[in-house]
Amino acid sequence: MRRALQRLLGRRRQVLVAATLIAAAGLAVGVAGSVGYSLATGYDRAAQRSDQPDILARFAPRRRSELRARLDRLPNVERISYRLEVNRIGLGAGGRFSRRGAVHVVHPGRRGYAIVAGRDVRGDGAEALVERGVAREWDLQPGDRISVRQLGELRVAGIALSVDNVAFPLASVPRIYVSEAMIQRRFGADPDPDVNIALVWLADPARLDVTLAAARPAAFGLRTEQLLTGRGVRQAIDQAAGIVIALLAILALVACVCAGAMLAAAASAEVRRRAPVLGVQRALGATRRRTVGEQVLDALLVAVPAAAAGVAIGALAAAAPTAALLGYLNELAPGAALLWPLVAAFAALMAVVAAGAAWPAWRLGRRPIAALLRGGDLTARSCVRRGRRRGAGRDARGGLLALGAHFALARRARWLSCVCVLAVAAAAVLLVLAVADLLVSLRDDPGTLGRRYALTVPGEAADAAAVQRIPGVAAAAQRSTVDAADSFSLTEPLRVIAYPGDHVPFEAPPLASGRRLRTEREVEVGAGLADALGLRPGGQLAIQAASGRELRFRVAGIVRALENDGRVVYARTAPLLRDGPSLGGPIAVRLEPGAARGAVVRRLARAGFASRATGGATARNQAFLAVLATVLRNVALAIGLVCLAAVVQTLTLTARDRRRSLAVLRATGATPRALAAVLAGAAAALVVPALAAGVALQRLVLAPVVAGLAADYATLPLGVSAGDALAVGGGLTLVGVIAVLVVTRSALGEPIAAGLEHED
Amino acid sequence: MTPLLRLRGLTKTVGSGRAARRVLDRVDLDLQPGELAAVVGPSGSGKSTLLQLAGGLDRADAGEVTIAGQRLDGCSDTALARLRARRLGFVFQAFHLVPELSGEENVRLAARFGPPGASRRVAALVDAMALRAVADALPAQLSGGEQQRFAVARALVNDPALVLADEPTGNLDASSGAIVLDLLSAAAAAGRGVLVVTHDAAVTARADRVLALQDGRLR
Repeated sequence: MRRALQRLLGRRRQVLVAATLIAAAGLAVGVAGSVGYSLATGYDRAAQRSDQPDILARFAPRRRSELRARLDRLPNVERISYRLEVNRIGLGAGGRFSRRGAVHVVHPGRRGYAIVAGRDVRGDGAEALVERGVAREWDLQPGDRISVRQLGELRVAGIALSVDNVAFPLASVPRIYVSEAMIQRRFGADPDPDVNIALVWLADPARLDVTLAAARPAAFGLRTEQLLTGRGVRQAIDQAAGIVIALLAILALVACVCAGAMLAAAASAEVRRRAPVLGVQRALGATRRRTVGEQVLDALLVAVPAAAAGVAIGALAAAAPTAALLGYLNELAPGAALLWPLVAAFAALMAVVAAGAAWPAWRLGRRPIAALLRGGDLTARSCVRRGRRRGAGRDARGGLLALGAHFALARRARWLSCVCVLAVAAAAVLLVLAVADLLVSLRDDPGTLGRRYALTVPGEAADAAAVQRIPGVAAAAQRSTVDAADSFSLTEPLRVIAYPGDHVPFEAPPLASGRRLRTEREVEVGAGLADALGLRPGGQLAIQAASGRELRFRVAGIVRALENDGRVVYARTAPLLRDGPSLGGPIAVRLEPGAARGAVVRRLARAGFASRATGGATARNQAFLAVLATVLRNVALAIGLVCLAAVVQTLTLTARDRRRSLAVLRATGATPRALAAVLAGAAAALVVPALAAGVALQRLVLAPVVAGLAADYATLPLGVSAGDALAVGGGLTLVGVIAVLVVTRSALGEPIAAGLEHED
Repeated sequence: MTPLLRLRGLTKTVGSGRAARRVLDRVDLDLQPGELAAVVGPSGSGKSTLLQLAGGLDRADAGEVTIAGQRLDGCSDTALARLRARRLGFVFQAFHLVPELSGEENVRLAARFGPPGASRRVAALVDAMALRAVADALPAQLSGGEQQRFAVARALVNDPALVLADEPTGNLDASSGAIVLDLLSAAAAAGRGVLVVTHDAAVTARADRVLALQDGRLR
């Protein structure tokens, strides 16, 4: 070990370059690993800590005893808790106010929420728990006061986290919890109070469908207004940012692979550079195994502290934006649990470094000792000679840039590994930009979802005809949505989107297979639902409506719909109307081609219809999108640092290999600018092919793979736009310029005489 | 007459601590235009270091270097580069041709840094050195003598006033060495100052002046 340290101290500069590179790779892995792990596990962590019930059922308010009598008959139930949810309550604190507040009166028993600050509510004081999203947005801490209509000023006892929905303000309703005892004290004792929510914990969660089947209204005798399972809740949360989170997790994976490839290339280059030293060791009698062991030990001595620092800094940098993102989704950051994945990532990095040092050292060990003493990298040199014959004359006339490109290309393996790293990084950044574009589209462009209607108007089905008569309106029809479940798999929630007639003029997600529906007995099914239920065109879909009535349809086609994670069914309204008097829902308004939306909005207003522009799929909340953008930027920054480190490393190694040639250039009168031009040529030889390869990689591989992994039920537009390609090209050029400046400065620092003493 | 190269009190120490050794100790030297001077001395006596300091390839610990009236100490990297490109030509023992470029391209590369019009001299110089037949060959495909002649052509392409040659015949056989020596003599005859560091008796025999470097001093 001491000898290894002495060896490293003897080449401090190279060690510093290698350590910087490894730290950059560690940084990328730290950011990517913590973002990926946090997002992948945030929901499960929050669900576990908040003791999430297996079923959350909402009913019309009724006596607790009545509800308990029926629910106690359900099979497979371990415990049930009750709440009364009172909506549209005015809440205010610190100058913020909402008329849409929800107050949950919590009855004794299991809570179904976690206390993340302060303590739970007791019965003996005027106090409330505030949901974490509300506390964050309204800047509330335990001990603060919150004003609640009909209850007055309450003291904030604690901050609660519940995973039955996304957080406020992503969910539009701010929520607080108060104890039943306080309400009883305030409004008079009632031995059998009203409740409207039941939280059900099952003895065997795997047998959820048995309990749900028994809870069918027909058998149960009680109509539920909403029945949420853990899976349903997760889907509701995923609707807010599911695609984006999946993309971020995949991006994190890409960044890790990128860093690993770069580290392996760096370790390999370092061993090749030391080939003459290996030759001397072998000449003095060292075995091949011993020389390999020394290379691995040297590499690890540099890598361990550098990678540890990089991973730690990356994790710290990603912590705040990731926690904010999780906060919006009502999920929990991993905290100390992140340590183990980071340790695993660190160990993987060390394995890559060790393998990157051992493999080339082992291969070099097979070469004759005399060849090692001459420089060892025989394959590379023979490639160089072939290259010289082919293109030397033309490139020399091409100038200093061409000479620099020659220098970079002289080491084919190194050049190729660096181009690969840069190409993967460029493709990853292009993917980030494509995700950002997609995010904006999902937010702003209804066309991304296959929606063709530009406006919605609140009203009854009968109003559609009046709306359609307004100039500029091409078509209008009521768009109804019904949340339901598959009859045979009640754990599979779905959304029925129904129009009185043909839905294609209003929304037409692309057909994946089959055809459009033609009769009211047929439906089109989203690919997400079709995958979950194994549906194909021609198959049967049985839907369990909230009323308990079962509706059966023939599947006409499978569509690639983004809405509700593809768990949608397009149907005609008529069969659903038999389930109840009215479905409700706004009137979808499709404009005539070329019609100005503003003018139509004004005409609708004059006719008494208040219209709304059609939005996209996901969250409309600007703050949430800002957090997502920050996370994306962090990932892109980490990848950018990887690029910079890769180019600096390759240029440094090139300049080090070609010390004598550069010294000769300087001796014959090359100015610092001319030297920079040579190195710029070397950088261009890396950056230009990397950009082309990166664009191709993104278009042909990453975009289809990532889109498929993130949302295989839909077609995500993740292609490369000209603007994105220009941005990445500009970024790579900037990285190249910085690398050239750094390496030129370093090369100029060496006396020419010292450079002349070296072998090229 | 103003000397082309003027060294005053040039001092250089190499190594550090107990290994420190003063290889040049207050060296003075004047080289006139048209003069071919040879510096001789045992290996490690500091001959190459003297040449490198004279050409601005390294910095002295103390003393002055003046080339054609321009002092090198205090010059920026860019100013030194311009001086090397326009006033100086180097010939090295190991030739130091850029391996990716053909012999003629190596000469052309130096002309790129020189005064305007230097490129026009490349072909003439290659012809004059009898190298036309191998002009497109890469250094690895050339003999030592051919490489050194290309190196001399590279040193002369910018029409320098001063040529510094470090063991120019050290890696050559006798006939190749004689050709290179003829070229250096011709350069001196054309009015250039030529300072040659050598072990070769043939070189010292052709030199106008022979200086011995011993214990860091020129005698």
